Amino acid sequence: MPSLGYERAGAVTARLEERLTDRLVGEQSVSRRTVLGSLGVAGSAALGLGSTRGSASAGHEDDEDHHGNFGAVDEYRDRDFDPHEFLRAFNTGRNGQDAVPQDVYEEDGRTVREFEFTAVDVPITIAPGVEFSAWAYNGQVPGPTIRAVEGDLIRVRFENFGRHGHTIHPHVKNVNPAMDGIPQNGPGVIDAGEDPFTYEWIAQPAGVHFYHCHSLPLKEHLHRGLYGAIIVDPDPERVRENPADYTNDHPSQITDALVEDMVAEAKTRNHEYDENDAVDEMVMVMNSFDTNFDGGNEVYAANTRAFAYGVGETDGKGNWKPGETKRPIQIDKTRRQRVYLVNATEFDLVNSFHTHSQFFDYYDHGTTLTPTHQTIDTVMQCQAQRGIVELDYSDHQPGLYMFHAHQSEFAELGWMSFFEVV
Amino acid sequence: MSDESETDGGVVRETDARPFGLPRWVSLLLPLVLLAVVLGVFVVGSPLPETGGQPLPDVSITHTTIPDDETVVLHATNNGPDSVTISQVLVDEAYWNFEVRGAGGDRTLAPMESARVVLPYHWNPGWDLEAVLVLSDGATFHHAIVAPSETPGLTLDLLWTLALVGLFVGVIPVALGMLWFPAIRSMSDRWLHAILLFAVGVLGFLAVDAGFEALELAEQVPSAFEGTALVVLGVLGSLLLVQSVSAWRQGRAASGDSRASSGLWIAYLVALGIGLHNLAEGLAIGSSFALGRVSLGAFLVVGFMLHNVTEGPAVVAPVARGERPALGHFAALGVLAGAPVILGGWIGSLAYSPTLGAVFLAIGVGAILQVSWEIAGLVREGNGRLASATNMLAFLAGLAVMYVTDLFVAL
Repeated sequence: MPSLGYERAGAVTARLEERLTDRLVGEQSVSRRTVLGSLGVAGSAALGLGSTRGSASAGHEDDEDHHGNFGAVDEYRDRDFDPHEFLRAFNTGRNGQDAVPQDVYEEDGRTVREFEFTAVDVPITIAPGVEFSAWAYNGQVPGPTIRAVEGDLIRVRFENFGRHGHTIHPHVKNVNPAMDGIPQNGPGVIDAGEDPFTYEWIAQPAGVHFYHCHSLPLKEHLHRGLYGAIIVDPDPERVRENPADYTNDHPSQITDALVEDMVAEAKTRNHEYDENDAVDEMVMVMNSFDTNFDGGNEVYAANTRAFAYGVGETDGKGNWKPGETKRPIQIDKTRRQRVYLVNATEFDLVNSFHTHSQFFDYYDHGTTLTPTHQTIDTVMQCQAQRGIVELDYSDHQPGLYMFHAHQSEFAELGWMSFFEVV
Repeated sequence: MSDESETDGGVVRETDARPFGLPRWVSLLLPLVLLAVVLGVFVVGSPLPETGGQPLPDVSITHTTIPDDETVVLHATNNGPDSVTISQVLVDEAYWNFEVRGAGGDRTLAPMESARVVLPYHWNPGWDLEAVLVLSDGATFHHAIVAPSETPGLTLDLLWTLALVGLFVGVIPVALGMLWFPAIRSMSDRWLHAILLFAVGVLGFLAVDAGFEALELAEQVPSAFEGTALVVLGVLGSLLLVQSVSAWRQGRAASGDSRASSGLWIAYLVALGIGLHNLAEGLAIGSSFALGRVSLGAFLVVGFMLHNVTEGPAVVAPVARGERPALGHFAALGVLAGAPVILGGWIGSLAYSPTLGAVFLAIGVGAILQVSWEIAGLVREGNGRLASATNMLAFLAGLAVMYVTDLFVAL
């Protein structure tokens, strides 16, 4: 099973897209999106990647399971947001997404990481062919992942282009009430057309955190898409000096060996250390969408798009193909895997993360360097809870390993994914 | 009825019909041409200010068919003014693969377009399913499939079964009922009229019953087709059609056509009305088969037979006086009144839709109403008093007997 056809597929599709859009330039009746949409199918069909499963009136009699299969039909045609890119996109001020203006500099002996955030109203695609009218930071859901080191100053210049007033409320330890990002304090909500406001937060404590809009009605502002992750890397020097802050162990249990272990762990977590390069890091924000406004979700996902990390097509007998936009997360079994997991699900009390054929260590909120749960295969999080999942696939055979929410309803409504171990 | 001469018989009048010297066909077409121009201006130029507000998508899932134990087919119609795209389908709260057939090769339904959504799903007999269509804008349309069971496909076996059922519940009871003819013939006018009013009671009950059923079905008709209006149109339409046939007959009778003045005409009209009603009855049986919703046991067939046997005397009562018609007429009357059950069964099993069902029921109601009117006229012509005590009680008896026998037939 050739599993590395994505780039080739992408290249052919891009070429076809270009050719057709060039040809159609000036034809007002054909919007660029329609052209791109139909090309997505053409491109993958040309490569035999079979994104046509379940498409209209197809007389498909291939080896698909006759009982049918769950999963969203068709591929994603909207390329504005790619969960596969988002998965490993960290904005540190130095490096990050093109769409997120950012900078890093020293100020009064402190590292400042500066970002420009905007709030916009934008339709996003949450299942193939299904659009959701989202409110989004920088036009994407989840919002950009901010990454800083413990003690840095995070500076976010926020401007609102949406219809409603919004804020940014960070889940960090924040000592200035004016920077809490709530309607009742500091600048209050930032209305559309109002002058931009600059939030400043010290990055503390180390861990994986959450930011979101805190305007009212809260449920609506959250579930429409105004949230994202903040990762605060631990500073190994600080760990060496204050080891008790980074473990749940009693100070009497903190030996020199444990401190050295924790410092080493901190280095793997800190993006400014070479040790971090050995770890494959991913951000997964578990989220959900209520498309018909009945207070229940029609779509669940990790990083917005239903089944985006699933397989493109399967016959249910072990034969599978990656889709063009729905495909497993490829991981190198020789590297350690780290998932920054955040729960932004609205309307449901808890969400969960479950790995097949695999156990993991879990660090609740990521604020400790020793695991808060060891050797578990399922962890649950309530809304806004987050943690770090550390996985080791080094002794697994290559192939597909499923992971998903173990609320089976959520899994079948989109929060179902695969790692492809190579 | 000798007022025929009052109309001009459709002859064109020569008046000063050439305004501005235009030929007549131009003056006929001119308003239409101008209307087209105005419509064009309105559509292209859209002179109204933008009023805002999007029309909401509206899709109905009229019914489900289940061709085999691994497939479920939803029949969906777009009622809204805009096209809709079925992007995903949920079965019992899980995204499931599907195909859209009959929408021109894509998943987009134009306004008033219908399509079949085919789900490869291994369902369990008797376990309810909830299917949801998710449109491109996230709007959802639900359909509960209650106690699914397989829909029989089109086979000779099925056609034969339905013919047999139709024979037993339609043709045979009506024929048996017609065997009362000699007895009716020997009755006095008073009792004959009572029998006729009994027949009106029978018909009245059928009209009410079918009317409510039509309105019930109309609720399942995709709203783009205006189910209630369709039922009203069906009732009035068939009423007026049958009435115009009747009026034509009266015209003929007035101008001395003896055949037209005989009771046989009325008998045929009654048979037609009952036939139309029985067509709808057959449709109900056939569609129940099509939807896998029926267990036509002996009890049900017995119920139908009791119910329909009273339709026999209703057919033959109008010919009780005067010369006895040839036996061929009796056969024809029986077939006209009873055989449509078979036809309806076939149509219902092959091409069931709530729309078709509602239309047939409505047509039956209209025909029955006209026929009741006709029978009342027959009684009056026979110098009877329509509202005598005997007649009223006979009418009531007709209603009551139908009600009681209807209890046996809860399909």
